[in-house]
Amino acid sequence: MSPLAPLGFFAHPPLAAGDFESISTVTVGAGGASSVSFSSIPSTFKHLQIRAIMKASDSIYMSFNSDTTNSNYYSHWLTGQGSSASASSFAGRLAPVIMAGTGASGFSAVIWDVLDYADANKYKTVRVLTGHDQNGSGEVGLTSMLWKSTSATTQIDIAPVSGSSISQYSSFALYGIRGE
Amino acid sequence: MASTYELIASVTVGAGGASSIDFTSIPTTYTDLVVKLNLRNTATGSPRGWAFVRLNNDSSAIYDERMVYTTNGTSAASASNSNGTEISWNPVVGASATSNTFSNNLIYIPNYTGSSNKSFSIDAVTENNATEVALVMNACIWRSTSAINRITITGASSSTLAEYSTGYLYGIKNS
Amino acid sequence: MASTYEPIATTTLGSAVASYTFSSIPGTYTDLIMVVSAKLTSGGATNHYYTLNSDTGSNYSYTRLYGTGSSAGSGRGSNTTNIFGGDITSTEPLADIVQFNNYANTSTYKTILIRNNPVTSTVHAIVSLWRNTAAITSITATTPSSTFAVGSTFTLYGIKAA
Repeated sequence: MSPLAPLGFFAHPPLAAGDFESISTVTVGAGGASSVSFSSIPSTFKHLQIRAIMKASDSIYMSFNSDTTNSNYYSHWLTGQGSSASASSFAGRLAPVIMAGTGASGFSAVIWDVLDYADANKYKTVRVLTGHDQNGSGEVGLTSMLWKSTSATTQIDIAPVSGSSISQYSSFALYGIRGE
Repeated sequence: MASTYELIASVTVGAGGASSIDFTSIPTTYTDLVVKLNLRNTATGSPRGWAFVRLNNDSSAIYDERMVYTTNGTSAASASNSNGTEISWNPVVGASATSNTFSNNLIYIPNYTGSSNKSFSIDAVTENNATEVALVMNACIWRSTSAINRITITGASSSTLAEYSTGYLYGIKNS
Repeated sequence: MASTYEPIATTTLGSAVASYTFSSIPGTYTDLIMVVSAKLTSGGATNHYYTLNSDTGSNYSYTRLYGTGSSAGSGRGSNTTNIFGGDITSTEPLADIVQFNNYANTSTYKTILIRNNPVTSTVHAIVSLWRNTAAITSITATTPSSTFAVGSTFTLYGIKAA
């Protein structure tokens, strides 16, 4: 630890890359975006994490490998809406994200985790921590999604259910986590 | 060269299943531990099951937990256990759930070599092509000041962890 | 090769304090993760809070999902003077994770996600809004009752997107 560093800060030597690695980032520019995609996801990791802030014109769909068949997806929600806690489920591609609308002042924060995303023996289960607050409204929760495919995940698409736009400044960062 | 976030060990359950996933001889060189689990068990009769968490092979009644959860997919609830012989609210997908489906569990253990009792969190989801699942946010403690050197994940009620279940142990260094 | 996940700062308290601050946080990461393993010096369960950039104005709000051990519920606070961090006790340390996504984004208000894990009190998931577009350069943890006990730890990590 450097004696000149502020209390608690380290002038540490360069760190090796480690097993948590950035793959790709998408930031939505002026005018918004009709969708956000991560494609050509390498199979060299074991797990994926997407860390995001976002607003959108509607709830969003999440699709894997361009699979838009609703019967291949299911989601579950455990959330607090400020007045009560609840749980629910949804059959279909609706992403288990608590979404802030385009007119909201605060963005939704979302952390998606997909374990064993390239495992050919498993369907893919996504765990999500998500929420937004608007100083008088908002919601927070732990949610999940199932993609019923044993294919390795090579693409993830996020798009509003209706309406046109994921808002400017929304940002999505994809990370890979090694497992061997 | 040091790195912050490192894989320590991984386990994949083979054909025939396994009674547990066991991380042993955990080095003391990290600050926090992260366990990622993708689990299914062989117990029929329910789309969800449980995998107990035990530290340092300690079966003393010194585990407490408090959680907010759903196990029916339609209502939220809360529960707590005190003086358990392990942490029990760590959900896994049961054999009656949609095939090929596994849970997604995160266990985060800060300061696992520190001198205080060992608090940690579990955020876990099972999945199912139907309403009934388990989503759990669990605050846990192992009331021991010992450094953690072993983490054992065991199927509950004599169930086994199914083939292809996986566990990954990571260490995070704070400097 | 650049590292994605890096420690920024850490402390283990050698004396009890009512507050602890991470200051001069560099803006070179994308997200921050703060790990809090703290308990109170004395007293019963109470709340703890965070403020950003020394802002103690009514510029915060939150929504929470909680479990008391017997019932689940939800609550909200508006125009608060800090981020509600959840419960803290003097009996056992927390295992809290506080996530600041896009903390240095100067075009957006800041949304913070918290998992608060006091095993002997109420468990929380919390989302909080700081109505300020400034990059976060300091984080202060405060307990208005008692003090953070000796041995409490606060650690800050940075995650850097490509």
